[in-house]
Amino acid sequence: MHYSHTIKISSLKYSYREKTAFPVLNGIDLTAGENEYILLCGASGSGKSTLCRTLNGLIPHFYGGSLEGYVRIAGVDTTIRTVGDMLELVGMVFQNPEAQLFCSTIEHEIAFGLESLGLAPSEIKSRVRRAAEKLSIADLLHRNPHTLSDGEKQFVAIAAATALSPKLIVLDEPYANLDPSNVQRVRCALKEIRRQGVCIVIAEHRLHYTLPDVDRVAVIHDGRIVIDTPPALLLPHHVKGYGLEFPLPGYMEEKIEIPGPPPGAETVLSVENISFSKNGTPLLKDISFTLRKGECIAVLGANGAGKTTLLKHINGLYLPDKGKITLMGLDTSQKKIPELARYAGIAFQNPDSQFFMLNVRDEISAGAIALNCYDEKWINRLVDLFGLEKLLKRAPYRLSGGEKKRVAFASALAAKPAVLALDEPTAGQDTRFRCALSGFLSELTAEGIAVILVTHDLLFAKQNAHRFLLMAKGKIISEGTPGKVISDKTAMQLAGLLPAERTKNDA
Amino acid sequence: MRAFYLLKGRKMTLDPRTKLLLSVFYVILVVFSYELLPLIFEWVFILLLILIAGKTKEHLRWLKAVAPMAIFFGAVVWWSSDGKSAFIAGFKLVNIASVFFAFFTSTSPEDLGNALVKAGMPYPVAFVMSVSLQFVPVMARKAGNVLDAQRSRGIPIGPGWKAVRYFHVLLIPVLIQSIRLAEELAEAMESRGFGRPGRTFLKDYKMRPADWIAVFAGLLLLAAFFLLRQC
Repeated sequence: MHYSHTIKISSLKYSYREKTAFPVLNGIDLTAGENEYILLCGASGSGKSTLCRTLNGLIPHFYGGSLEGYVRIAGVDTTIRTVGDMLELVGMVFQNPEAQLFCSTIEHEIAFGLESLGLAPSEIKSRVRRAAEKLSIADLLHRNPHTLSDGEKQFVAIAAATALSPKLIVLDEPYANLDPSNVQRVRCALKEIRRQGVCIVIAEHRLHYTLPDVDRVAVIHDGRIVIDTPPALLLPHHVKGYGLEFPLPGYMEEKIEIPGPPPGAETVLSVENISFSKNGTPLLKDISFTLRKGECIAVLGANGAGKTTLLKHINGLYLPDKGKITLMGLDTSQKKIPELARYAGIAFQNPDSQFFMLNVRDEISAGAIALNCYDEKWINRLVDLFGLEKLLKRAPYRLSGGEKKRVAFASALAAKPAVLALDEPTAGQDTRFRCALSGFLSELTAEGIAVILVTHDLLFAKQNAHRFLLMAKGKIISEGTPGKVISDKTAMQLAGLLPAERTKNDA
Repeated sequence: MRAFYLLKGRKMTLDPRTKLLLSVFYVILVVFSYELLPLIFEWVFILLLILIAGKTKEHLRWLKAVAPMAIFFGAVVWWSSDGKSAFIAGFKLVNIASVFFAFFTSTSPEDLGNALVKAGMPYPVAFVMSVSLQFVPVMARKAGNVLDAQRSRGIPIGPGWKAVRYFHVLLIPVLIQSIRLAEELAEAMESRGFGRPGRTFLKDYKMRPADWIAVFAGLLLLAAFFLLRQC
């Protein structure tokens, strides 16, 4: 079938409910030829995920709503055909590695789309093998998806999409839950796929990972494409007003001074030579560090290094097999968790794991009330600090991702603990959120609260932490000031934290 | 019984429909066995099959999980009749649980789903059944995360009767996360052509002579069992 463009979007307007005055997509025009590699970027709420879903027909067929204009992929109008019809033209990869794999083996997973096409079993088998070999995951074919790491899961999702030999592959924030070394692997895989003649559209707001790879950048703001240019012509000040940021090459060497705790600040947390195993697997080996009042340390490392396991020792959720942890003078192995929770607040990665109240105010206060240390003044201070006044009467589950995280942080602080621990606070969040969080952290440390940041977001850690602890395979392999740790290239490599800065000529 | 012994080695490569039918026959057999001796024979047979498949360790873990239910069931029966009936009732439950185990470990969710489709069930229904099994460990892990998060806030949930009044603190986040997960999965499935008509399957299932022999033998055995009971 002859068609002039792989993607042709014209005057696209869309709202999830009936026509409103402020549709989510407010007049999008975009054309793309065969084999283009396009970055779609925008802050949270800009409409980039919505636009991705129009490319394979999920919008309007799966989501309903009201759509004007048209979207044609290889000449096929997505509004007229069903999502099933688009199967051989568009492959989609979603953000959450856990929620897009649903078969019992990887072989079945990659085969699923081919089964939908009605191909013969022998053809399905050979196409599955080819797709897996191209992405070097052929040895995973008989594994259960849930036993794979997040990075491997994303690879499988990409293999499942490429097995259909589509003309276009769309990826909606595929790097959101991945650590830097896995991001690199996926980037290489995508470059390889592109070399085979496929058009790629990737929606992301971490520009420094994606700018070097793409031919074209389209910036979305308020449902419109405001910039459409090759990446070489894009400068940081062009995108600042749209809630986006990207550091120029060399930012890792830049010195940022974070004021440390005042001299003589008391130690609030002391971890002495702890080791821990679960189900016979050693997860932590001889870890030691101390934390002082008003200090902010970043615990860095790849997924699986043991960072979250370490966090869970602070308030007694886990008890070490060897060694001792002292929180505010209390030995964690001698006290019950509610007693320790009074002094250590942990905000885990997924705020959905904790919300159970009908409004935000009750949600924040819940922990403090359970611990019998409800202080109205302090709760009001927290509401003020995290900018939650307008959200107090709303139901926590209906908030946006960034708003939920702020409520989760406030909840962790409700009992005014001495130590606040944040587990991957910036995962999947845009620049606006990260700037706001940096502000919160400096206010908290000024107040004397010690902060532990568990993250693999090197830039954020650099902007906020006084000290770094680098972890790999359950051990601390480097510690000290950010400058010292970052310059230890071997340690950084071991930890799977390749410096995120790349020149634009990165191959 | 001899027919079954011959088929022991081949059980794992039988068509899923055959395995399903044989499991159903077996459950009927167990339910209508009122004496201890036949129940013991039936259980030993299943244990042997599991041993051959090499899944005894997992089976023991499964039995540990099932034991409280069987004991509870037995206790209820004891309360309404006598000790012997109670024991038999509990033992029957263990027997049935063991055959469930044998069936599910020898049949992948896809095999089960596809077999049901071939037997006439609409694809979406069969698929939903097979996929839900997949996500039980995922939800268990999420429930663990919820427990950790809530305990870290100082909310005293955990094992014990005191914590019962905080049950909603565990239930609500888990429920909401399952709904969210279901929505995201639906999107992913749709994008890979879930609703498309004319779907084929990676593995082709055909009823072979061995399958028909197995089903026939099972029926014969069942018939013989009921006839013998009349005497």
